[in-house]
Amino acid sequence: MTELLGTILPYITTILLFASIYAVFALGLNLEWGFTGLINFGHVAFFAIGAYTTVLLNISGCPLIISVIAGVALAGFFGFLLGIPTLRLREDYLAIVTIGFSEVLRSILLNEEWLTRGPFGVHGFDRPFHDVIPYQHYNTFLLILFVAILVLVYFALERLIQSPWGRVLKSIREDEAVPSALGKNVFSYKLQSLIIGSAIAGLAGAMLAFYITYINPCTFKPIETFHAWIIVILGGTASNKGTIVGAIILWAFFSGTKFIDRIVPVPFESHQMGAFRMIVVGLLLMLLMMYKPEGIFGTKEELALSD
Amino acid sequence: MQLIINGLVIGSIIAITAIGLSMIYKTLNFVNFAHGDFVAFAAYIAFFANTELGVHLAVAFLIAILATILLGVFMEGVVWRPMRRKKASRTALIIISIGFALVLRNTLLFIWGGSTRCYDIPVRRGFDLFGATITHNQVLVIIVAFILMFLLHYLLSRTMIGKAMRALSDNIDLARISGINVNQVILWTWVIGLGLAASGGVLYGLVTAIRPSMGWYLLLPMFAAIILGGIGNPYGTIVGGMVIGLSQELSTAVLPTEYKFAVSFVVMAVVLLIKPEGLFGGAK
Repeated sequence: MTELLGTILPYITTILLFASIYAVFALGLNLEWGFTGLINFGHVAFFAIGAYTTVLLNISGCPLIISVIAGVALAGFFGFLLGIPTLRLREDYLAIVTIGFSEVLRSILLNEEWLTRGPFGVHGFDRPFHDVIPYQHYNTFLLILFVAILVLVYFALERLIQSPWGRVLKSIREDEAVPSALGKNVFSYKLQSLIIGSAIAGLAGAMLAFYITYINPCTFKPIETFHAWIIVILGGTASNKGTIVGAIILWAFFSGTKFIDRIVPVPFESHQMGAFRMIVVGLLLMLLMMYKPEGIFGTKEELALSD
Repeated sequence: MQLIINGLVIGSIIAITAIGLSMIYKTLNFVNFAHGDFVAFAAYIAFFANTELGVHLAVAFLIAILATILLGVFMEGVVWRPMRRKKASRTALIIISIGFALVLRNTLLFIWGGSTRCYDIPVRRGFDLFGATITHNQVLVIIVAFILMFLLHYLLSRTMIGKAMRALSDNIDLARISGINVNQVILWTWVIGLGLAASGGVLYGLVTAIRPSMGWYLLLPMFAAIILGGIGNPYGTIVGGMVIGLSQELSTAVLPTEYKFAVSFVVMAVVLLIKPEGLFGGAK
């Protein structure tokens, strides 16, 4: 029994570590899409900015906590920059510009080796309290830390969306004309939502770097954005609780498909497995939007899905 | 000079593929993020017909167009029309289209793998023109692209269905009450838009390697082209495509080639900031 537990426990820890990172990442998207109705298809860019800023500042001698704060701030700043040309226009433009930005950023990460070390990636940076926690317990410590961060972000967001500020966001999602008739500056509210959502993604990026200890441009492929989307839509748009559950389900599914070939024979090769997973993600995204757009925990009333 | 020729070749491919994106954007009122993957799909079908079935590339070209259109019509029947009937919002349609993009691209990856492919055609030496080298394939691409643009112009301005399509993209409700069969015209919009996208995809395979992500990397230049030319304006899109193709290639004179498509991004951001309706007007 204890032996079985000993083999299973590390897997569960891994799933929960990834789930907590992606839950924070997706909570940022949920604020943008779920509560404000913004379509951000380049969420991974802010993930990458947070991760890279944190580790690059740290290896050049900056204390860890300041590096993380800088990463979060820079991710938020880029959200601001992208919001300016797009948020006054129709929602499609933000989708197009953010998806483009995430690709451009990735090619910058690949090619500006003087800054980012290009395809070789960055490693050898500090991890929080690495010198005081014994190595064999480090992942357990990291899990506790990440869950604490997740809980903190969750309650901060819940407070925000229940405040008058959050009610304006929801009214923008429902119908922009109403808050602007009431004298609210819709553009400014959307911009704030995008900045906060992006900053949260930046924080998740720092968490990811601490866990995997090595980042390179391939860590931040466009597909990560759609992991966040599937988490939000599966869990329930505009439900922060749903987002957390969605993250756990997604990572349980990923770990399941990684090891499924050890249990049942799979008729295709390992490199096809990655493509197969993405087909499932894409299909799930389509089917959920077509037949159950409110997800598991969402409600139909909270959806901005009919004009 | 070499860069200008390369730019014209890529520009004409961007132009004909982007017309479909622009037409569907305007008529159905949503951005089809799977459009680039339809382009890649066509290139793979042509590759399959050409190498596995062993037919001539010209026949493979027609098979690819037909297959792409069939896939598009199938999607219209099972996804887009039911969603329109449910009065789904633009945002829902956009998310479904990106989901379909993932499915389509990874299906190509699943079947043919990630390595680059090319058609089974003889490699011929290019010829010199003003000190630049042009390959036969490049000439072919430009000729076919211009024939297609001309056909489109004829279709839109001279035929009933073209006029109905323009009416629909102008105002769908007015078109409906003036007795136009809206669903039928939408179907035609898909057929023509995806037919052009498929032609662009097969041509693209002639001048570059075929790989699952080829459509994805074409998506950003296509968006830049339609935003520059004004959404729903086919002639603007052609000009926009040429401008984007040329500026991408010319940028390689000063920037590393890896930043080619960053150029489209910058052009797009600047246009949105200064003149979001595009240089030649279009949907706001």
